[in-house]
Amino acid sequence: MMASTDISTGTLQRHGLRDEQLLAIFRNMLLQRQLDNRGFQLNRQGKVPFALGSEGHEALQAGAAMAFNRGSDILAPYYRDLGLCLGIGLSPYEIMLSIFARATDHNGGRQFPNHYSSKSAGLMSFSSILAAHLPHAVGAAYAIKYRGETGRAVLATCGDGTTSEGEWHESMNFVAVHKLPFVMLVENNEWAISTPLDKQMAEPQIWKRAAGYGMPGRRFNGFDPIETYEAVKEAMDRARSGGGPTLVEGTCYRYLAHSTDDNDMTYRTRDTVTERRKQDPVPAFEAVLLEHGIVDAAGVNEMRQSVLRETNEATDTAEAQPYPEPADLYKHVYEGAWQPWQS
Amino acid sequence: MTARKTELPPFLRHDLTDEQLVAMLRTMVMQRTLENRGFQLNRQGKIPFASASEGHEGVQAGAAMAFSRGKDILVPYYRDLGLALGIGLTPFEVLLSLFARADDHSAGRQFPHHYASRRLGLHTISSVIAAQLPHAVGAAYALQSRSELDRAVLTTFGDGATSEGEWHESINFAAVHRLPVVFLCENNEWAISTPLSKQMGQPDVYKRAAGYGLPGTVVDGMDPIACYEAVAAAMRRARSGGGPTLVEAKCYRFLSHTTDDDDRTYRSRDEVEARRKADPVPCFERLLVEHSVLTAEAAEALKRSVLEEANDATDRAEAMAYPAAHDLYERVYAERWDPWI
Repeated sequence: MMASTDISTGTLQRHGLRDEQLLAIFRNMLLQRQLDNRGFQLNRQGKVPFALGSEGHEALQAGAAMAFNRGSDILAPYYRDLGLCLGIGLSPYEIMLSIFARATDHNGGRQFPNHYSSKSAGLMSFSSILAAHLPHAVGAAYAIKYRGETGRAVLATCGDGTTSEGEWHESMNFVAVHKLPFVMLVENNEWAISTPLDKQMAEPQIWKRAAGYGMPGRRFNGFDPIETYEAVKEAMDRARSGGGPTLVEGTCYRYLAHSTDDNDMTYRTRDTVTERRKQDPVPAFEAVLLEHGIVDAAGVNEMRQSVLRETNEATDTAEAQPYPEPADLYKHVYEGAWQPWQS
Repeated sequence: MTARKTELPPFLRHDLTDEQLVAMLRTMVMQRTLENRGFQLNRQGKIPFASASEGHEGVQAGAAMAFSRGKDILVPYYRDLGLALGIGLTPFEVLLSLFARADDHSAGRQFPHHYASRRLGLHTISSVIAAQLPHAVGAAYALQSRSELDRAVLTTFGDGATSEGEWHESINFAAVHRLPVVFLCENNEWAISTPLSKQMGQPDVYKRAAGYGLPGTVVDGMDPIACYEAVAAAMRRARSGGGPTLVEAKCYRFLSHTTDDDDRTYRSRDEVEARRKADPVPCFERLLVEHSVLTAEAAEALKRSVLEEANDATDRAEAMAYPAAHDLYERVYAERWDPWI
């Protein structure tokens, strides 16, 4: 039972979300799941070098994306945020260009797969180095405040492992001191690659750190997209209106290996994962929508077909794109066209 | 005299004997004297630099009394003159550091006031804020992995250090592994010229402990007995396998950051004068005299003895030789190697 469903009355606490928005959240979750699996398949087929797994984060990311204001907010995600990036407007085709590392990718095929960026979407390019993106995100929030821009905020995300990094702490402290328009969203999936939460921190509730920084903290069920939306929206609204930063922690679980290069069976059991699959947010949210008559079974089926078609089309179109030209090696590196070997 | 004594509020001395209380006072007076001596020698052009710890005498004398010499390990920061004295560093050793003489523990290589003593379990000090904390945690990790019981690490830092990433990483690691280490924050409200309000979103360092899953306590850093009790409790917990503690002692920095700093550019004289009223050195002397732990005459004799010892240490250290130029590479490579030959 999702927290957004009132157990006593059976009504859906939708926190202002219209049917279309609830369906958009669900479609985003289906698309994330589909693209996530596609990345792993393409890797096993030898077509892409690498992909990251975000299965289990769908509800959290789709809910958080709905609290993001396109065109004004800034997103500083980490590498497990496929659904968040889709949710703020990145297309499956753009995802595939990244995974295939093609020339027309936003960064010309230079970045790691699943490391997107989009100036038009307000999506900052991100780092594989844990927590390295947070000082950048804080800088963006500082710029918003410094320029006196109102109604804008930065949404930054990270996993539980990142909270052990010094940059995480320095970023949190700085935004608290300067009351910056910043939301730190921790996607706590209990695994930092192969390190379980109890070897990562002595206090498993990350939101409790907020008090030590002098900012509000809140924990929510990251398997519930509506509860996620409400928690992230509350924090983003506070940030946008000059109320300063918030630490929000969403609990979820990582169903797949860390990436296509990782074998999670060396550090956790299949039984553990299977047990946690019972809470899988994708079918759970589907059941909620069906139960409350927001969509019917035929509608769900149609949506699944449409998501699969879009994914297939994006895959085929992206795969057909050319790789970057070797002659373009220094493009995006120096300003203007400078080719050191021709000097 | 006897009648007056009964009118006093109860004197909470915990398990401290008269001798220990007087030893704490002597450490505090010595710290104050050597502190001022450092500034004087700098203004006389005799030494290049000194850092200041006036206002930290209470917390440092108290914390030092909670340290078990010969067993515990101290990883301090550069404002810990009293702590180093309290665990056994001599005024002569302090002056050798200030004068940067060849007989100094670092042979005159280190910054002034950056002591080290293998004999005392005193780690060498880094000027880089919070750089000592991963070292302290490493020492505590070694104690745990070697199953050395009944030993603990005491590490200290100012309020400014709490904003550093190393601070966070060290406390988190110590909490996860339940290491025998005590993190003592000497919160003097100023990180050089940065006031606490520009350093943290809320002013209580100890409140961060809960987020790491370790106990946090706060104590009046001007009260050496309270500081002793807080640090002793934390050290006992660490030595007995109970894991780390974050202790915050609220004190104040009366002098500039160092001899190279002019604090009049960032805080008012009124602020400093107001805080001087809680000066821990005269306050503790008064407390001990009022409770007849020592007489007023004995207190005066103690101060004279401290001054004599400080003068003697100054003269002897000043008379020592500088390191020889050709010893430049000594202690740098494992064996003697003169790269220029």
